[in-house]
Amino acid sequence: MAELEALRAAVLAALDDPDAAAGVDAVGRVCRACVRLLPVDGAAVSIMSDAQNRETVYASDAVSVALGELQFSLGEGPCFQAYATGGPVLVPDLAKAAAPHWPVFAAQVADYPVGALFTFPVQIGTIRLATLDTYRTTAGPLSAAELSVALQVADIAALALSGLAAGDDSWLDEDGRWLEESSTMRHRQVHQATGVLIIQLELPAGQALSRMRAYAFSHDRPLADIAADIVGRRLLLVEDQG
Amino acid sequence: MAIREGRVAQAFVELADTLVDDYDVADLLHTLAEQCVRLLDAAAAGLLLADQRGSLQVLASSSEGARLLELFQLQTEEGPCVECFHTQAPVLVADIAAESHRWPQFAAAASREGFVSVHALPLRLRTQTIGALNLFGRERGALSEEDLRLGQALADTATIGILQERAIHHREILVEQLQTALNSRVIIEQAKGVLATVGNLDMGAAFIVLRTYARNHSARLSEVARDLVERDLDATTVLAGHLAPRPTI
Repeated sequence: MAELEALRAAVLAALDDPDAAAGVDAVGRVCRACVRLLPVDGAAVSIMSDAQNRETVYASDAVSVALGELQFSLGEGPCFQAYATGGPVLVPDLAKAAAPHWPVFAAQVADYPVGALFTFPVQIGTIRLATLDTYRTTAGPLSAAELSVALQVADIAALALSGLAAGDDSWLDEDGRWLEESSTMRHRQVHQATGVLIIQLELPAGQALSRMRAYAFSHDRPLADIAADIVGRRLLLVEDQG
Repeated sequence: MAIREGRVAQAFVELADTLVDDYDVADLLHTLAEQCVRLLDAAAAGLLLADQRGSLQVLASSSEGARLLELFQLQTEEGPCVECFHTQAPVLVADIAAESHRWPQFAAAASREGFVSVHALPLRLRTQTIGALNLFGRERGALSEEDLRLGQALADTATIGILQERAIHHREILVEQLQTALNSRVIIEQAKGVLATVGNLDMGAAFIVLRTYARNHSARLSEVARDLVERDLDATTVLAGHLAPRPTI
């Protein structure tokens, strides 16, 4: 498909640009192309290293943002499944999906204008680094040809992501410019609040985050709000809560 | 002819077989050297490959004599193989002795090893040359057109494999760095939360404390942060002597 080749060429050209913003632009270009080339209404690419560490690099629309937030807030969903298994997670009819891997997400996503979800792992060689998350408002499967396009787009997304690491390596430890620019690090406060709970609840980071997720879930509030309240000292999670 | 065709096909299959997931470049090049000697009118074959910094290494050879001759060329920086790499074009020498004025040291060394002809073919893809394939003969005379074409085709196959492996490896390193960066950022934010809570600071002040401590101890920010988060380093130690905690109400 000519448009895929053009997309790949554009992304490769962006890789030669030492500016980290060019890398983010390239990821955005891939997401927008994904919406054009496939029967989906939104696409997002998020870097992951485990269930705690996940950051969206680009999302094409507000629903894609919200789907990512919901999955991160719950710590479960198709993106975690795709990342863990290395295979695509295709949910052509979300309302009827049996979802043993993400029962809570399946229940809560009913509130969103989403009929189908198609999630693809993004990997380079043996390294899995991200997911490409797409959704559409109506139910319906991807054809074999569309699936092939989606997998190729995921490959190009991997290429685009490698551009975020281009340039000098000073960002490795502290700068992470792609995380800094325009506050792209969405979950900053969640991680800060995790640090607060490490001290207040005397828990390891992983358990501290789980506790915060559980609290958010049981109070039916977004994780980001709970984190903001903890960081702002308006909320104190004590031992017997959550 | 039919027998040779079968062996040629077999050679490409063997080369392709070495291009599996976690293949070894050295293995691929040894296969290539052996196939050249088996299929072409050459007594020995050697391969030079440029490393990432562009300096040549002997990566494979079908015999010890060929290996010595390759090494000798690298040390003296002269000879048909080195010239082939630098000019990115085949160097065909039907009679080494007749051209000894071009590479006097190489001619003498080749003669000692009993080689009288040499054909050097570049390992090349488009504008990029990554090494050279050298075919040594014990008899005077040029390789046939057909042998040269086949030798170049084998070299091209190996080249594509090597370049692909390098490209994937390069991208793997980049994305590993990306995940490291994400993990570092997460841990630094968590450490800010730890310091802010223990020191009763806002997040901005907590970051300054963290950064100052890392600089004063010549440690990486992300390492200090990890130690804090995993409680291998006490927050009060990092806070000590920086800002006196405000009294908590």
